[in-house]
Amino acid sequence: MATDFWASSHYKRWIVDRATLHQARLADLQYVDNPEQLDFLSIYFANLITKLGRKLQFRQRVIATATVFFRRFYLKNSYSETDPFIVIAACCYVAAKAEESPIHIKSIVQESRTVFNQEELNGRPWTTDNQKIAEMEFYLVDDLECDLIIFHPYRTLLALCKRENTPLSTSEEGEDLGIGLDTDDGPRYWGTGEGQLELPTGALQVAWSIINDTYKSQLCLLHPPHLIAIAAIYLSFIIHPPVRPDPSTIIEHESATTTPESHRQPRRSTRQANSHSSSKKFQSHNQQDPIAFLADMNMSLPLLASVSQEIISLYALWDQYKEDMAPDAARLARELSGTSPVASGSISPAKRSMSRADSLTQSYGSQYFGSLTASAGATPVTDTNETLDTASSVQEGVPGVHYVTPAFLSLLVQRMREAKLSDVTPSAQGSSSGSGSINVISGRKMAVNKRLERMQAAG
Amino acid sequence: MLDEWSSNILQHDPMRLYRAKRDLEHRTVISKYNILGFISSGTYGRVYKAQSLDDEHGTLHAIKKFKPDKEGDVVTYTGISQSAIREIALNRELSHDNVVALKEVILEDKSIYMVFDYAEHDFLQVIHHHSQTLRSPISTAVLKSLIYQLINGLIYLHSCHVLHRDLKPANILITGNGVVKIGDLGLARLIYEPLQPLFAGDKVVVTIWYRAPELLLGAKHYTKAIDCWAVGCVMAELASLRPIFKGEEAKLDSKKNVPFQRDQLLKIFEVLGTPDEKEWPSLVDMPEYHSMKRLDYFTNRLSDWCQSRLRSPQGYDLLRRLFIYDPERRLNAKDALQHKWFHEDPKPTWNAFASVSTHQIPPHRRISQDEAPSMVPIPQHASLQGAHGHMGIPFGQQSKPGSSTSLSGGGHYVQSSGTRKKARLQ
Repeated sequence: MATDFWASSHYKRWIVDRATLHQARLADLQYVDNPEQLDFLSIYFANLITKLGRKLQFRQRVIATATVFFRRFYLKNSYSETDPFIVIAACCYVAAKAEESPIHIKSIVQESRTVFNQEELNGRPWTTDNQKIAEMEFYLVDDLECDLIIFHPYRTLLALCKRENTPLSTSEEGEDLGIGLDTDDGPRYWGTGEGQLELPTGALQVAWSIINDTYKSQLCLLHPPHLIAIAAIYLSFIIHPPVRPDPSTIIEHESATTTPESHRQPRRSTRQANSHSSSKKFQSHNQQDPIAFLADMNMSLPLLASVSQEIISLYALWDQYKEDMAPDAARLARELSGTSPVASGSISPAKRSMSRADSLTQSYGSQYFGSLTASAGATPVTDTNETLDTASSVQEGVPGVHYVTPAFLSLLVQRMREAKLSDVTPSAQGSSSGSGSINVISGRKMAVNKRLERMQAAG
Repeated sequence: MLDEWSSNILQHDPMRLYRAKRDLEHRTVISKYNILGFISSGTYGRVYKAQSLDDEHGTLHAIKKFKPDKEGDVVTYTGISQSAIREIALNRELSHDNVVALKEVILEDKSIYMVFDYAEHDFLQVIHHHSQTLRSPISTAVLKSLIYQLINGLIYLHSCHVLHRDLKPANILITGNGVVKIGDLGLARLIYEPLQPLFAGDKVVVTIWYRAPELLLGAKHYTKAIDCWAVGCVMAELASLRPIFKGEEAKLDSKKNVPFQRDQLLKIFEVLGTPDEKEWPSLVDMPEYHSMKRLDYFTNRLSDWCQSRLRSPQGYDLLRRLFIYDPERRLNAKDALQHKWFHEDPKPTWNAFASVSTHQIPPHRRISQDEAPSMVPIPQHASLQGAHGHMGIPFGQQSKPGSSTSLSGGGHYVQSSGTRKKARLQ
């Protein structure tokens, strides 16, 4: 079970199609102006889980598991009918236990208070206690149908690839491998590791970070983890082109002098990889041809392309999302201001989100993402900008570009819940008084309520 | 502004609507199952026999109810225990003929109910039946079939990277059709790429009589081999009708430090001899190595032990290999199943009782009626009874390892509650 994904509850019960995803959001859709706002919420909540997880000193895998729990929970429930904050807290609490690194319930209560009260809550403090979290845990485990063992792409990544010139089972982020395993455990996926692809450290880190980023979307519900991993490897090849060294890439390396100290290492190893391949050693050495490696996967290329595309469109969307106090905001604005509107729509997303993503600070790969985005025409940014509520989103120094901020999304969640509540409020007065406040964020809400009132009047 | 009702909900009980909706959909345990009686209790809670009301055959089930947490008389939510999370999570994934099947989990009224397929017997009951009622050893055909199926189930668990960590006769069930079902995964855990070292979560694993020497010597790192040791202990117990290494457990001290298990080690050494560094190179690295060195010296007399009890050189050889001190050289489950003992007559059968005449088959599991209605809610004295309970070793973090006597309880048998230990002393 730990090894056989195809026999797992994850595969059998929790990989869903887009129609199911859409169905799950129907109730929420009537409380937002634009369906895309729900995608932003997806990013927002994933960020909150990461934030809380970091506070609790979770390993990356625990955060990932908590995020999957959260996504699964909202396959059955709507944001507007629940308090996503307490759901997040409970997801983290259960994930810690499911991943065998339990924490005390008091820590969850304390840290979730700290983290969530930093959010824009319209003056109301967010409170919780042991009882509430434990109660939520109970309902959560029930909604998760007790399926608590989650497969993650990290495992596939580390099974397929290894860092250049390192022995087998060296892992990223210091994940301990091998504790409690005896020798007869031997083969994981590739036995001795003979078939593993050696990646430059930088490329492996990029792939790892892309996987981290996929949790900001619903991808973990749509695709099996190994597919996401391979798409991440594929995308990391684009940033770290291993076979055909592009002179322009190298030039960009040289010019990227602003790269922080901590990222010199990956950059250097990338260059090594490039020189490696240019001297034709790369291909002869252990048949380490990444293209052949991917081809040998014998997987559906259209499927791989579509998963990669979905990841890229996540970055495009994410480009419009902005943490309020993002330290790189000024720099990003400067970068953006130099580009034409069309270019900012197609190139900047990946670039900026890459630089925002945890360890993806190398921005030189953006042109590859950019070209991919452009060729696919995924999520045209200019369209969505127009529909965003200008009053609520932050306007940067760049004309025509609006950002969605956590503060906006936090308010959005609140308004959605208030609207939902007034829809179910027993007294008619409550309903109409409720719609007044809703109006601020959603003009359409009024109409819905009127329809509701008419229906009530009719019988 | 929102009216008072709405803002009150938002502020103080934001999940009220959700819960109302969920509670409405919920089908209660009582509406799905007819509770027939009480089977047993332990530190974890209690087990009941129940009949499904949904299917026309009235399939039998064992329902394990985890003990809810209480503050005074009020049952409260205090968080699901690590042990329950493990048992639920693992059982949801596992599926094998020789592992007990979980039908569903019902979370209701602050309690967790795990509904398992019903098993009529268990290894402990079979041992008891032979030592008390029949007063004759278990036949080689039955013994071999039981061990064969046990190992078969263990291969599956190990192939899934699950360590059982509490194999003992009381936890190994047998259906009415003579099929072995490994039960109680409350201590089991996944060892695939663990984020935490194994010893971090649980200071003490495996009931003392079945605990492997590396654990007794304080090893922080252990492997599947601990389950294989336990299989050896179970096999020997089936053969002799009494635990082969029946030591007294040294209790955790007030600071919950794990003490040196002197008596248990002596019991092992008396049969297997004192281990030496040549046959077990990593012995010198064991935290309790020096304490062990101070014990009396013994030589191996397992061969003598087996003479009258297993009556087969191959049977002795299997046991000898399961009892190899060095965990790295100890027979693993896969190789154990290939052992020659299983190829010689009598061959193992899928109905372990195939060779047994009807009147010699162990009786049906007895259930007590008077306690049956108490499944909801749980009575006060349950936790006291659970103290000598059969399955649970409490968990380091969720409960109090030092406070429970179940660490030494090799097994507990409801039908004769309390008589087992007496029986052993005769």
